[in-house]
Amino acid sequence: MSRMRTSWIIVANIAVMAAILVFVALYSNHEKKEHYHNQVEHFVNTTIAMERVTGNYMVGEQGICDNWAKYINSRDLTLEEATDYVRATHVSESTSAHLIDAESLKGYSTRPRPNTEDGYEVSYERMDLFGDGAWIADLGEAVNITRTYTNPVNGEQSLAFCNRITVRDEESGEKKQAYLLRIVPVSNLEEKWVFPQEEYEHEEFSIIDNESNYVIKGRSFKNASFFEFYKSYNQPGIAEQQQLFADILSGTGSFTMQDSKSRECLVAHTPITSTKGWVLLSLAPVSDLKAVAENWLLIGVITFGLLLLLVMDFLYMQAINQKLQVTAREADAANKAKTDFLSTMSHDIRTPMNAIIGLTTIAEKKPDDKEAIAENLRKIRLASNHLLTLINDILDISKVESGKLNLSPVTFSIVETVQNLMNLSQPMIKEKNIDFNIRVNRMEKEYLYADQLRLNQIYINILSNAIKYTMPGGSVSVDLQEEESEKEGCVKLVYRVADTGMGMSPEFLEKMYQPFSRQTDSRVNSIQGTGLGLAITRQMVDLMEGTIECQSEVEKGTTFTITLDLPVAEKQLEEMKIEGVEVLLADDDPILLETAADTLDSLGIRADQARGGLEALEMTRQRHESGKDYDVVMLDLKMPDLDGIGTVRRIRAEVSADIPILLTSAYDWSDIEDTAKEAGVNGFIGKPLFRSRLYEKISELLGTEAKALEAEDDHSDLAGMHILIAEDNDINWEIISAMLGMYGITSERAENGRICVEKMAAAEEGQYDLIFMDIQMPEMNGLDATRNIRALENPWAAGIPIIAMTADAFSENVAECLKAGMNGHIAKPIDLKLVIKEIRRVKEEKKK
Amino acid sequence: MKRLLCTALSVLLALSMTAGLPGAQADAAGGFQPRLDTDTECEITVIGSYSNFEALEAEFDSFNEFYPDVELNYVKPDDYNNLLGTVLEGKNAPNIFFAFPWMIGNEKYESVMAHMEDLSDAGLGLDLECIRPSLLNYDAQGKLSMVPIFARNYGMLVNNDLFKKEGLSVPGTWDELLDVCETFRSRGYDSPMMGYSKDSSGCLMNILVYPEVLAAVNGNPEALKAANEMAPEGGACMRGGLEAMMQLIENGYIDLEKCGEISDNYTEVILRFFEGDVPMMICGGDTVSGTGKRESQSAAFSKAPFTYSFCPVPLSEAGGYFVDSPSVEFAVNRDCEDLDMTNEFMRFLISREELNKMASVKRLVTPTTDLSFDAVYEPFGQVPTERVLSPEVIGITDPLAVQVRNASFLVGTGEISIDEAVSDYGAFTD
Repeated sequence: MSRMRTSWIIVANIAVMAAILVFVALYSNHEKKEHYHNQVEHFVNTTIAMERVTGNYMVGEQGICDNWAKYINSRDLTLEEATDYVRATHVSESTSAHLIDAESLKGYSTRPRPNTEDGYEVSYERMDLFGDGAWIADLGEAVNITRTYTNPVNGEQSLAFCNRITVRDEESGEKKQAYLLRIVPVSNLEEKWVFPQEEYEHEEFSIIDNESNYVIKGRSFKNASFFEFYKSYNQPGIAEQQQLFADILSGTGSFTMQDSKSRECLVAHTPITSTKGWVLLSLAPVSDLKAVAENWLLIGVITFGLLLLLVMDFLYMQAINQKLQVTAREADAANKAKTDFLSTMSHDIRTPMNAIIGLTTIAEKKPDDKEAIAENLRKIRLASNHLLTLINDILDISKVESGKLNLSPVTFSIVETVQNLMNLSQPMIKEKNIDFNIRVNRMEKEYLYADQLRLNQIYINILSNAIKYTMPGGSVSVDLQEEESEKEGCVKLVYRVADTGMGMSPEFLEKMYQPFSRQTDSRVNSIQGTGLGLAITRQMVDLMEGTIECQSEVEKGTTFTITLDLPVAEKQLEEMKIEGVEVLLADDDPILLETAADTLDSLGIRADQARGGLEALEMTRQRHESGKDYDVVMLDLKMPDLDGIGTVRRIRAEVSADIPILLTSAYDWSDIEDTAKEAGVNGFIGKPLFRSRLYEKISELLGTEAKALEAEDDHSDLAGMHILIAEDNDINWEIISAMLGMYGITSERAENGRICVEKMAAAEEGQYDLIFMDIQMPEMNGLDATRNIRALENPWAAGIPIIAMTADAFSENVAECLKAGMNGHIAKPIDLKLVIKEIRRVKEEKKK
Repeated sequence: MKRLLCTALSVLLALSMTAGLPGAQADAAGGFQPRLDTDTECEITVIGSYSNFEALEAEFDSFNEFYPDVELNYVKPDDYNNLLGTVLEGKNAPNIFFAFPWMIGNEKYESVMAHMEDLSDAGLGLDLECIRPSLLNYDAQGKLSMVPIFARNYGMLVNNDLFKKEGLSVPGTWDELLDVCETFRSRGYDSPMMGYSKDSSGCLMNILVYPEVLAAVNGNPEALKAANEMAPEGGACMRGGLEAMMQLIENGYIDLEKCGEISDNYTEVILRFFEGDVPMMICGGDTVSGTGKRESQSAAFSKAPFTYSFCPVPLSEAGGYFVDSPSVEFAVNRDCEDLDMTNEFMRFLISREELNKMASVKRLVTPTTDLSFDAVYEPFGQVPTERVLSPEVIGITDPLAVQVRNASFLVGTGEISIDEAVSDYGAFTD
């Protein structure tokens, strides 16, 4: 069917092309005819103009002859005397005059024969020039001109303007008739009759008398008679021929004929009105009058152009059709994938929802069983978190697909980012009991300028996948390295995550970045995931103009490498140097030892390395015995021979109770915190070992050791804070106020933005410590409310910290909030830890 | 002997010179090869006594294919024979002009002869060998002042269809002629033979008598000398021809009254013949040249065309004669402008191919040796060599021809008797 339609399109194209060509051919032919018609008309008009010039010339010449005749007739002159008179008044050198006795046809010439001085006699006896003389009109009545004849005096082909004159016979004294001839050589006339138009360079003219004998003969005119010439090379019927000859002699017009070279020629004819039957003829080859440009060239070019267009259109249509077919197949596949996805989503959403609803129901049935309720609530929280991740991914991929995923760069700390990465991955690592290593090498630029949320998302997605698809007992290692970037003002961050997980098949590697795709494996049926993570990650990396590479082998593991060039923020930590400090670094990971020693070296700290707890214990002992203790000893929590806590215990027991000891770990140490403190640990530092974190911790240890031991979960200092919460939803208000109440923080509600602004306008200085601001509220939204508050006259009110607390969780929403004047952003559903962190940040900034 | 020697030398010289010339080599390879700059611009004028000369104008066109910027014109001056000298002295003197054998030795044309270039000059490259030697008039010094373009002969146009219709054959002898004429007469043809008879120029009488006069003096030096010198006894050579002519007239085979209706010796002769009722029309070859063109101009011929041919008039028992004489000759004005290009045109024209072509167009007898006649001239091709007469070879002078022309006309028209014509020989003038 499609092929049939294509054939019809081709046929239609060819038909249109043929129609255009026919039109062009007809039109050009019409134009050619029109042009030729105009040329013919122009040619005839030129001939008419030539006739007028000719006529005027003849009238002028005849006038001279008439004047001579008048004078001669008015005097009683003999033929010789009359000749003397004309000779005396005859100025022109090229012409002459003959005065001939009408009876004897002998007379005199005004010019002598060539090469003589007195050869003036002339005879017309042998020339049939005058006939009976009746053709010569009376004086002044007409132009009397002879045919072309041979001047008997000089042999030149000439014309003569005539008059009858009366002279006195020398012998008898009687009056007698004579002819006066003013003779003009034909060559004189030919020089005067030149076609004025340049376009008629091949055109010629002739003058014929009323018997078609040439008076003046152009080069292409043959025979002695034009009619003979015509008959020699053209064979019309006798009747047509006679009609044509009659037309030529009687009026103005044109016709075509073959000349002696078989060329088709146009002949224009017009009577010379001042003569008796003479006709001016102009002849031009028809090829000179036709359009110069051969229209076949035009038709050829158009044909070629149209054929080219046809072929190009055909090829283009084929390409488009192929693309459409591919697109249609892809659309079908995408639709199928979406259908599958929706089906999966339905399942995936219903599963945690089922858990939440079911566990809630169970908890309601056992109001007195606190232990069961606590367990149910923990499971509900897990299910809720999963559900939240699922929703976030769906929202992200919808933005990716619609092309609305934008970056919102902010200045952020890569240290915090990695710390967050560690914090978020710790529960999973802990749960799955896998070996986890994280190494950071020379992170000299801590503050970068990029979309922190998206960067987090990229790193977490890759890491969480590695953890998710690694079986218990396996290992996951993370390397983050700063390299010199080719882009000015940027650093190159290389983030590499390697796992010993199940790996991916080559087939899946080809489509792993496509949305809604998940590796199918019986072992991971239980693995929760949306199949969107990698697609989102790939899109985000592309958006940040980075690269993502993957090497994977089934059953052996996977390594993802993400390289991003990120701009360095203007804000950087002050120069961090701790000169003259010696540190012992103990870890079973030689790479970590190298990178950490390198980082410490950049701080001016000399670091000795120990490959395990026992080696560390020995080195500490040796230094102590030498009287020069290490300033700080840093011990990894997990070491094969003697773990960190064990090593601390032995140092404290066998070497010194005073040497400051830091415990390093990539794991959550909340479980071992108390034990460590009891063993004598002075502080904790999480891996990776950032330069800034090392600087801070070592500085703290070398300063006030007590500060290092501050409990991180001690939020008692927050009690008594008073927070204004702008929230239109009753349940949300209830949740947040209850959560804050747990920390002794009081709160006050504003039901919408307008009320919030009013409360702030009316508040006394210090009445509120900060505002948690919902964004979407009736009457006035959170953004407008913030702007109004920032515009308040009271400096305290205008400067109060405002933290967005909203379900608008995208990066552009965060950017919009900050732009409106807010100081932070917490996405709903709220994470209490984040809320407390923000409150603490505000409190600390307030202190400063 | 001297002439033969000169001719031989000229031919040898021509051969030796042309052998070394690239143009000649090219000619030998076939076709004309220009020797001059083909971009040359000039004008060449040919003058002559023909009113129309289409055959020459066709040659102009052919020459223009080699030299497109050379303008060639043919002009017929009035009163050609008388004004030729004046024209040659004039401001626009022609490059080439018609010349005639009778000009040679004629005092009146001394100035004309003085203008003639020697065309025997081998350097000019003219292909004189292609021309029948009897038509080339070298003077005593071996100079060739003119070259023949066409040959002339005398005879009668025969309406073959009419003969066929009447079951007769074209006569080849005197008796056959008389028989045929008698038969036609008996079948209602008032004048089986006709021709122009209004004046002596081109008249039927001269056409009948002149070949017989040539035959009479051929091989008879004394008679030739007497005739050339206008001696009274010279008239005897006319007697045989005149008697035969008168027999035809007196027998009523030539009705002079009907012939008198023909007003000129060219077009009207042809048109009368094309009426279709004249078995034999006595005329010269020049007249035959106009037949082809006038076929379409004759309403009668167009309506009822017939086949015709040109035959010798058999006034003797052995048959008729083929008088092979130059009709028109070309002379080059050695004082003209652009003499080089003029000679180049002559080199182009004087070749077997071009002369034959021109003769074919003009329907005249070619002067070349191959005698490839038009079908109309076929009967002359069958004339045996011994009956081919060349006035120039025999040594006929123009005054002799004038005497024969005028005497035969006067006898034919009955103004004088045959005896008077013979006795008054030398006294006749045009």
